[in-house]
Amino acid sequence: MPKDRGFRIPLFPLKSIQSNISLAFSLLILAAIVLTSLVSYQVSVDAVERNSKGYIEEVIKQVNMNIQSYVDNMENISLLALTNKDVKYYISDNSFISSEDRRTYEKRISDLFQSILYTRKDIASIMVFGYNGRFVSDRRITSLNPNAKLQEQTWYKMAKSEGGKSVISAPHVQNIIENEYRWVVSLSRELKSTDGITAEGVFLVDLNLSVINDICSNINLGKKGYLFIVDNNGNIVYHPQQQLIDSQLRTDRISDVIEATSGSSFVANDGDGKRIYSVQDTNFGWKIAGVAYTDDLIASKDDLRNSIVLYSLCGLAISLLISIWLSHRLSKPIKDLQSDMKQVEKGNFNIQTEIGQMNEIGQLGRSFNVMVSRTKFLMEETINNQESKRKSELLLLQSQINPHFLYNTLDSIVWMAEQRQHEEVVLMTSALAKLFRASITKDQELVPIRVEIDHITNYLLIQKMRYNDELDYVIDIDESILEYKTLKILLQPFVENAIYHGIRNMYGIEDGLITIRGREVNDQIVFEVVDNGLGMTPEQLGKILLSKEESNRNQGIGIRNVNERIKLYFGHEYGIQIRSEIEEGTCVTITIPKLE
Amino acid sequence: MRKQRFTLWLIIAIFVVAIYSIFYFKLFFVATKQEQSVTVILKSMNVRMDFWQAVSRGAEAAAKEMGLELDVQGPLQENDADDQLRILEEAIEREPEAIVIAPIVDERMPKALAKVRSSGIRLVVINTLIDMTPTPVIVSNDHLEAGRLAGEAALIATQGIPSVAILSDYENSKMSDERLTGLQDTLKNYKDSVQGVYYVNDSEEKAYRIAEKLLASDKAFNTFITLNESATLGVAKVLQEQKKAGQINLIGFDSTVDEIQLLESGTLKAAVIQKPFNMGYLGVKTALKLIDGKKTDPITYIESNVITKENMYTAENQKLLFPFINK
Repeated sequence: MPKDRGFRIPLFPLKSIQSNISLAFSLLILAAIVLTSLVSYQVSVDAVERNSKGYIEEVIKQVNMNIQSYVDNMENISLLALTNKDVKYYISDNSFISSEDRRTYEKRISDLFQSILYTRKDIASIMVFGYNGRFVSDRRITSLNPNAKLQEQTWYKMAKSEGGKSVISAPHVQNIIENEYRWVVSLSRELKSTDGITAEGVFLVDLNLSVINDICSNINLGKKGYLFIVDNNGNIVYHPQQQLIDSQLRTDRISDVIEATSGSSFVANDGDGKRIYSVQDTNFGWKIAGVAYTDDLIASKDDLRNSIVLYSLCGLAISLLISIWLSHRLSKPIKDLQSDMKQVEKGNFNIQTEIGQMNEIGQLGRSFNVMVSRTKFLMEETINNQESKRKSELLLLQSQINPHFLYNTLDSIVWMAEQRQHEEVVLMTSALAKLFRASITKDQELVPIRVEIDHITNYLLIQKMRYNDELDYVIDIDESILEYKTLKILLQPFVENAIYHGIRNMYGIEDGLITIRGREVNDQIVFEVVDNGLGMTPEQLGKILLSKEESNRNQGIGIRNVNERIKLYFGHEYGIQIRSEIEEGTCVTITIPKLE
Repeated sequence: MRKQRFTLWLIIAIFVVAIYSIFYFKLFFVATKQEQSVTVILKSMNVRMDFWQAVSRGAEAAAKEMGLELDVQGPLQENDADDQLRILEEAIEREPEAIVIAPIVDERMPKALAKVRSSGIRLVVINTLIDMTPTPVIVSNDHLEAGRLAGEAALIATQGIPSVAILSDYENSKMSDERLTGLQDTLKNYKDSVQGVYYVNDSEEKAYRIAEKLLASDKAFNTFITLNESATLGVAKVLQEQKKAGQINLIGFDSTVDEIQLLESGTLKAAVIQKPFNMGYLGVKTALKLIDGKKTDPITYIESNVITKENMYTAENQKLLFPFINK
């Protein structure tokens, strides 16, 4: 199992919690923003498309109504002709009208047609063709195109076959009148005699195609959108690109339009682009289709998208900032805690971390504080224990009288007694006694300097007597410092050291002299123990300073221990300094505080 | 383990969404092109010149379909080369993406067209083949094919025994020459099919006289093929006067109102007509293809139609014969 650990992608790949949180936030926000902007864009586009569909439908309806009104008008004109008595007489198959009367009838009918035509600019011509061969138009003199056969005209044939119902033709060029070629839409209708059964002629109204053309071409369905009309058979009534369709340069969804029901719409999306077809049926068998290109209709599509992109970018930037800020806020207490912990790591136990809110991190901080103070307490306790233990050890050590010293002294006393030097015996014995007394008074650690000086004087006295005047000493202590306190048996180890290492081995080259000085310097008390002995090499000096008490047990309390004691009692700024030169002697400086 | 898989899926999902959105937007950015502009320069902008008006309509239809900005210009007189050159000069200064031009034949024209190219404007030449290297993209009526169609119409009219007199306009007219070549191409397999080629210099009267002379001669021919309108009208006049309309076939080109009436009456057996609307449309579409850097054919030919009395009022042919809806 541990093997595949390396292959896994870590949940949060970044190092710090802050960056991980910001990363996670950013990704989530990014996803949310992208998703919402996509959805909103789609929704808006859909809405616009839906609106456009409605709009197209409305436009097509309007077109339908317009065309319908023109057709209705033609229908009305045809009804007028149908019910007109003059027309009926004129085309009826009887010899009732004489050739003289015929002219007046023609004139009357023509006048009627003309008056209609005056009011209607959209009508191109109105004509009646009787099966009896007579015909009248809205013109005074009508000359038919000799090359166009009436019976072959589509509108004529259709009217005949429909038998009384009006027929709307597809747009065509009307060539029935000589020298006239007009694009028209024809409404034709067979006229019946008064009995309503016998067919007697065909009535024709031509609507200028330009009317429909204008309606259709003026429709604005966006820049590329257009409108077209087909009849039920799929023949194009109007299409702006009819010639291209005829030449197969373009295709359109004509069959789809024919199949579509009125009021419905469908979307085509092919090489020509996405577009909406909206279809409306007219009452007379045409289908009007409006075509609008979506990208064209929705002119604001780009703006829409751009603004959505802009807003989401803004939103993203803001939320990124917020996420960085938030993660910073979340991780800051942890960081603070971490830096405090580092301090503790370095050994500073005086740290108490600041606690903000009482959340998980706050609780963690509190526990940390408790832990640190507890540790601090324990450590102090340990240090104190150690110190007191050490002090008592040292006390024990200093209270011991070197057995060699005692033996040698007693030996000297015995020797002096044999020589009957009673006074010296008394002096030495009393000095020894005082020395002992000072050693066994355990109750006081600190003694006045005066007592210490007495002690060292006794010691030096004994030593001087032992070394038979090869040793001399000078004690020069300032009177003013005598009442200040010092550690008990402070000077003895140095004097001991001066005798054993400096003076004892001089072998009478020179008389040994030990000088002890005591002064007050800068509010401190400074003792100097100076000898004129052999001196020490730096190696020897180092050895003395570092030597453990065990190694020179027979030489009393080690110098190192004295130093340690001073520092234990008075602090690290106090202690001893040793200067020594070979053949010149040694000077030990002891600094202690001024204590009342 | 479970949590990690979930995170992995989450990251994948986010990536998919991000990539999808990038593509989604990118497609739209590509789709919305900058508005392109095309200038069309015709031989004439005269509203009475149906042919050029139809070209203009075709160009407009293409512009609307493609959603581009279109500017149609041309001199008022059909052969005003100076004016056309001036218009071309101005058009170059406006720096459209493409210029579609039906150049008037003039020795200064190739230089002017070279300038169009050197200005970085795409060039499409319509209606005419032009001597220029490298050859520009051309959209033109296929006069050779039109000539062949006329020849075939003659074959049908004469039941395969053509004996033809051809009336052309000028010997140096490139268009007529191509029509003639096409004609001869069709008729060369028939013995004695071409009785003669006559040049009538765009004069109805000259055509009339030549036709009269030919009819008076004892040459046994059964068909006149006239390569331009004035020749057609001149010959038709003779045929009608001598009541030979219908006996002697007349096959012409183009479709003026006069010719339409001749067709209706049967004097003109067939007319080969061009499709100027398609030429304008394809001219602009070709220009757009060049702008978009798509592959284009070096020459796009516009087909012609043969119109006879029988088919002249079909929905399709009506639109060709009467391209405009009169007010």
